[in-house]
Amino acid sequence: MTPEQIERLVDAQSAALGVRIAAEHRKGVIAFYGLAARMAELVEGLPLTPADESGSVFAPVTPNAT
Amino acid sequence: MNDVRALWRGEALATAQQVREGALQARDVVQASLDRIEATDTRINAFTTRLAERALKRAEQLDRDPKRSKLALAGVPFAVKNLFDIAGMPTLAGSKIERDAQPARRDAVLVRRLEAAGAILVGALNMDEYAYGFTTENTHYGPTRNPHDLERISGGSSGGSAAAVAAGQVPLTLGSDTNGSIRVPASLCGIFGLKPTYGRLPRSGSYPFSSSLDHLGPFARSVRDLALAYDAMQGPHDDDPACAQRSIEPTLSQLDQGVQQIRVAVLGGWFREQAMDEACAAVDVVAQALGTNRLVELPEVERARAAAFMITCGEGGALHLNHLRERAHDFDPMTRERFLANALIPAAWVAQAQRVRHWFARRVARAFESVDVLLAPATPCVAPKIGTEWLEINGRPLPARPSMGLLTQPISCIGLPVVTVPLWGQNAASPHLPIGVQVIAAPWREDLALRVAAELEAQGVVTAPIAALA
Repeated sequence: MTPEQIERLVDAQSAALGVRIAAEHRKGVIAFYGLAARMAELVEGLPLTPADESGSVFAPVTPNAT
Repeated sequence: MNDVRALWRGEALATAQQVREGALQARDVVQASLDRIEATDTRINAFTTRLAERALKRAEQLDRDPKRSKLALAGVPFAVKNLFDIAGMPTLAGSKIERDAQPARRDAVLVRRLEAAGAILVGALNMDEYAYGFTTENTHYGPTRNPHDLERISGGSSGGSAAAVAAGQVPLTLGSDTNGSIRVPASLCGIFGLKPTYGRLPRSGSYPFSSSLDHLGPFARSVRDLALAYDAMQGPHDDDPACAQRSIEPTLSQLDQGVQQIRVAVLGGWFREQAMDEACAAVDVVAQALGTNRLVELPEVERARAAAFMITCGEGGALHLNHLRERAHDFDPMTRERFLANALIPAAWVAQAQRVRHWFARRVARAFESVDVLLAPATPCVAPKIGTEWLEINGRPLPARPSMGLLTQPISCIGLPVVTVPLWGQNAASPHLPIGVQVIAAPWREDLALRVAAELEAQGVVTAPIAALA
């Protein structure tokens, strides 16, 4: 992801979600988003198949258990 | 006859035994702890709240209670990271924002379990805001200083929890660990820490960070105290959906079983490449003491670390989305820009990270078919000075704060139990500073990690002395 793509993504996402990024924080937010994008490249770089399950598992809640 | 002025030095196990037998008054023990906190905390800044009235009242009740003779932690003072609920107080989680939250209606489950075993809560402890950091350089509440060198960080995010034990303020504390927040401060403050298996201890009544990765666990100055506290906290709880329905598996009684049958290996690859000489040397000392020269390399460790990073970003950003919309200016500058960025990342990155996590967990499970315990450094180096921005690890400049978790994140990503053990003198330029080694076991085998730690302690290889605080 290029720096320009990251800037556009940050601007679009923040507007869509209603998260205002103050001018003094924009540079830091973009820098950290860039780091996250590099981490995402590592994560996406592992070849997985549809059979590779998620590490996030939901436990159904039975009645009277809460 | 006990010298009441020195009661704060006592280990939890010995203190509890004396209180049970009536040789010590719980009130004297608690008062000694409160006095030690008063005498030292202006220098350390471990505590954000002291609970003298509550603690002394409870101690007096315990001294009058004949049932104390059956309580494993009778009269033992303890304190908790300020993300644990304490009845009647807002749960700060290191933030300014949560000062405005409703007071907790009751104590966190683990606090209640420790107090049911006779322990006495004396206060709440400093941390990185919302547990998002490895240094406890909290802007709202000030940095927690390392008791062994006040110019240096205590580590984080459970920095107050580690520093309070290292300073002799209390023999026992609780912290949380999402990416290394028990193991990093235990390493830098020279004490023992246990991050149990993901799902072992219920998190009910604690402020979350990233629920897929959050663990709770104890700190202590001996392996026996660590096991004692851990045993008292085990057992399922329905309010935490991640908490496993496992019965209590006692460990304290297993500590003296030795390590002859335990197969031990050192983690290579990433875990040596991302560590400075002192960290590798500490692992080598432990490996030698355990009589192993076996090396194991896990696949795709860097991607596992990236997966932990990404899951934390996604879940942490979502958790605080409303705060970020309405009160971004009230976040700690140390966390604000990271949380803002986290709120914006695509869901696909996080979902993919969860799949990588599962892939990695299965590969590591295969490694555990031929080994029982793995060794790795807990931090890349000894404690840096407060305010340090950059480290150089094997010739590469890296940002100091996130790099403190390089060696812990791949392990907590897949929820393995870890005991962090402290070594000394591994950094020739700073021999007064400790560094920790992770003793890592397969899921649900905390007993093995604790037995190895106990063996190392018995050999004198690992120790947790109270800081001199001259």
